[in-house]
Amino acid sequence: MRPEVLKGHLDALLLAVLEAGPQHGYAVIEALRAGSDGALDLPTGTVYPALHRLERAGLIASDWQTVGGRRRRAYHLTPAGQAALGEQRAVWDQFSTAVTALLTRRPWPTTG
Amino acid sequence: MANHRITRITDARPDPTLDAYLAELAARLRGPRRRRDAILTELRDGLEHATDHHIAAGLPPELAATTAINQFGTPQAVTVAFAGELAAAYARRTIAALVATGPLVGIWWLLLLQPSPWRTGLTALVAAIPVIPLIAIAITAVGATLATTGRLMRWLPETSPHRALAATTAIAAVCLLGDLSMVTIGVLSGLPTRPLLAIAIAASLTRIAACITTIRHTTQMRHS
Repeated sequence: MRPEVLKGHLDALLLAVLEAGPQHGYAVIEALRAGSDGALDLPTGTVYPALHRLERAGLIASDWQTVGGRRRRAYHLTPAGQAALGEQRAVWDQFSTAVTALLTRRPWPTTG
Repeated sequence: MANHRITRITDARPDPTLDAYLAELAARLRGPRRRRDAILTELRDGLEHATDHHIAAGLPPELAATTAINQFGTPQAVTVAFAGELAAAYARRTIAALVATGPLVGIWWLLLLQPSPWRTGLTALVAAIPVIPLIAIAITAVGATLATTGRLMRWLPETSPHRALAATTAIAAVCLLGDLSMVTIGVLSGLPTRPLLAIAIAASLTRIAACITTIRHTTQMRHS
């Protein structure tokens, strides 16, 4: 799936991945890939800026840890992020129901 | 997925392929140094993690590192992706510094040019210190930029990093104009030369230099 298709939805996807608990950047990206059966295979280096933007908005927060000699930044949802995820889920449910209803192929009505 | 959680423990080790990639990124990224260092540290960890992942999947180490790099994107793509966040960080840090240092400059001019005790009110203050409207404009622009590039952007329209840089340029230009005006007023006012005037002029000249540097940096970042 092309990255531009995800425009507008990446924030919600990242929040959803972090809902399970704190994860570092690469784990978030792997979770996106694994959770979508490989459909969401974004260039890894472009997902980190999206995480930084969510942190700037106060929807996630991060802590630096040292693991196995490496400095690692782990992200977690903030209460505001949890609330935003709930709102975005509701919007997506409404949107996807409407779009599915319109795009689903239906048999043409028979005439005569 | 569980093996990617933050509890996974691996040993740090140098890798020439990753080092070259990160060195190219370091040369391309523009923005506050601490923020750039943090980005490079985070990317290094991610790259090493990805390399370990590919080695565990059976790739030889060198190919694993190359695969991890391909997964992250070209240095140019990663630089473009981070440009917005670095620009926003630079804009927020710079205008916060201008706000923090404003009183350190303004206090000397206020002590020098404060209106007579029997003339009170905003009109008397503006007559004594004519740049006060400029200060008000700058403070409004600072408040709007900080609000729409930070936590309040959840509720307010988000300012794009490019616009945040433009706002930073404008705020620095207003400060520059204000300080130039005050130095001119101070020099032409016929005030006796005394330490207070010298301190006020020195403070304004320092901020003029800082504003010129800011305008140069923001212009470079906007056109890079």
